[in-house]
Amino acid sequence: MGKITRKVMMIGGSITPPNIPMDWTWRQMAAEAFWNTLKNCGVAMKDIDLVACNYNDRAIADSSPGPQIADALGILPKPVVPIANACAGNGIASYVAWNAIASGRCDIVVSMGFARSDNYDAMEAMNSQGNYVDYDFMLGMTHINYGSMRDAYYRQKYQVPLEAAGQWAYQCNWYARRNPLAANYNKPMPELEDLCQDNIDAERDRQATNRGGVASAMIFVGEEIAHQFTDKPVLFDVAYAFRPPYIGNFFNYPIEEMKDYDLAELPGLMIAAKEGYQIAGITPKDVDVVQVHDLTAYEGMMAIEAIGISEIGKGKDYILSGGMSLDSKCPINTYGGGPAFGHGSAGSDFQAGLLENFWQIRGECDERQVKDARIGVNTSYGTHHSLDVIGILQKGW
Amino acid sequence: MGEQFTDQFVRWDTFSSALWYRNKAGRYRLEGTRCSHCQTIFFPPRTGLICPTCHERVMEPYDCAQTGEIIAIALDDVGFPALGYGENMPRVQAIVKLDDGVHLMVDILQVADPSEVTIGSRVKMILRKHKREDTGAWVYGFGFILDQ
Repeated sequence: MGKITRKVMMIGGSITPPNIPMDWTWRQMAAEAFWNTLKNCGVAMKDIDLVACNYNDRAIADSSPGPQIADALGILPKPVVPIANACAGNGIASYVAWNAIASGRCDIVVSMGFARSDNYDAMEAMNSQGNYVDYDFMLGMTHINYGSMRDAYYRQKYQVPLEAAGQWAYQCNWYARRNPLAANYNKPMPELEDLCQDNIDAERDRQATNRGGVASAMIFVGEEIAHQFTDKPVLFDVAYAFRPPYIGNFFNYPIEEMKDYDLAELPGLMIAAKEGYQIAGITPKDVDVVQVHDLTAYEGMMAIEAIGISEIGKGKDYILSGGMSLDSKCPINTYGGGPAFGHGSAGSDFQAGLLENFWQIRGECDERQVKDARIGVNTSYGTHHSLDVIGILQKGW
Repeated sequence: MGEQFTDQFVRWDTFSSALWYRNKAGRYRLEGTRCSHCQTIFFPPRTGLICPTCHERVMEPYDCAQTGEIIAIALDDVGFPALGYGENMPRVQAIVKLDDGVHLMVDILQVADPSEVTIGSRVKMILRKHKREDTGAWVYGFGFILDQ
């Protein structure tokens, strides 16, 4: 690793609410999040040095989205780095932003993303995204099939009861009723007993709900100028790692010290977390609040294991002992998680967790506020954990 | 439309016949690759690619084992079947560990009752007709059946 010349601060951000009107284009969504974030942070367009923007390539059927995004944001001729890296793409955009600032080349960078997946009618057409499409897609293996297989294997290997998954979804829904940005904010609270049932309806309720199209944006700046924009800047660090994209090769990770891990663990996230913690100068014991990207409850448990909040294979015990709740040593998914905040694809999955931790550290979360939260960790993944990202925020004032 | 092609043709994806041609050895007979330097075997094949284990670039064709054992099972039953598979639900899908150590995610075929398929079951590869492509061509590729 090279020399880091200065710290990176987050000064604000915004995310669109669920159920964006059908007539909004991806351009309008991107502009909405970008505009609101600039206004919230008091940053002028002319002062932005760079925009790093992830997009879901179901949203733009074009091989050159950079100029289109720059034009939509009205930021021409400033540079825009377009990034397509599945649902965790904004983790990569934020990594680009972090490097641009930490190196000293840029002072103010916007990291953003948007997803307008319904630009294509056929979910089937893109259902294999993130798989090894040359084989999986052609042989009828979908993105959803991958997820079902991973969950089945994890449950089998670590004897995870349905009650743990039900409890996960229940706690996510509890938080979502206290977060106006969550997809399930105004919906009836589900019964825990229903979420623990062994049937397809309950299985779907334990999985992510859809937010529709989503866009979000965040602003990062060099530490020495952060106080020009806010009296409560938050220190930001980020790291990410890859695994092979083919599910069979999850059993053959070419990293010697991690060869014992397979489909039931997230060694990519372990690597990212190790680097992230090192850069941030913290350990898992220092973490006050965690947001994970959980398209299923089991993935959520796998994630908290990989970042060291619980031991490998013991995520179920952490959940069943009340570890997600506000009075635990490290509450989980106060934003509402995949099951209740909702899945935003490239438009919000990394950002939603990072923004929640930003607001938690600043004490702005009202009923779902974690007491004295100083350090927050969020994770996001794409391509079924072929890509894992960790974001770390610390109180910076 | 006609007797031979009863379904309306809709272009659902962007794959071309050239792409199908390029990966036929893997799809038809489980041809993978082996690194000549460190002997690590791979499926899908890494023809012309760099070995992630030893970082050399000397891949050679390798015929994967065509028998193995089921180590994980999941039913495709949540309601979003792949195009062309909707009439065969629920599909039984499995992670199979081949006898040479390669892992695959596959369909377990010719199953009357999904409970017949269990962890540890022995399976063998067959070549099957999977589905009709958007252009009308039939897709052939590997599948697995129980090896009683």
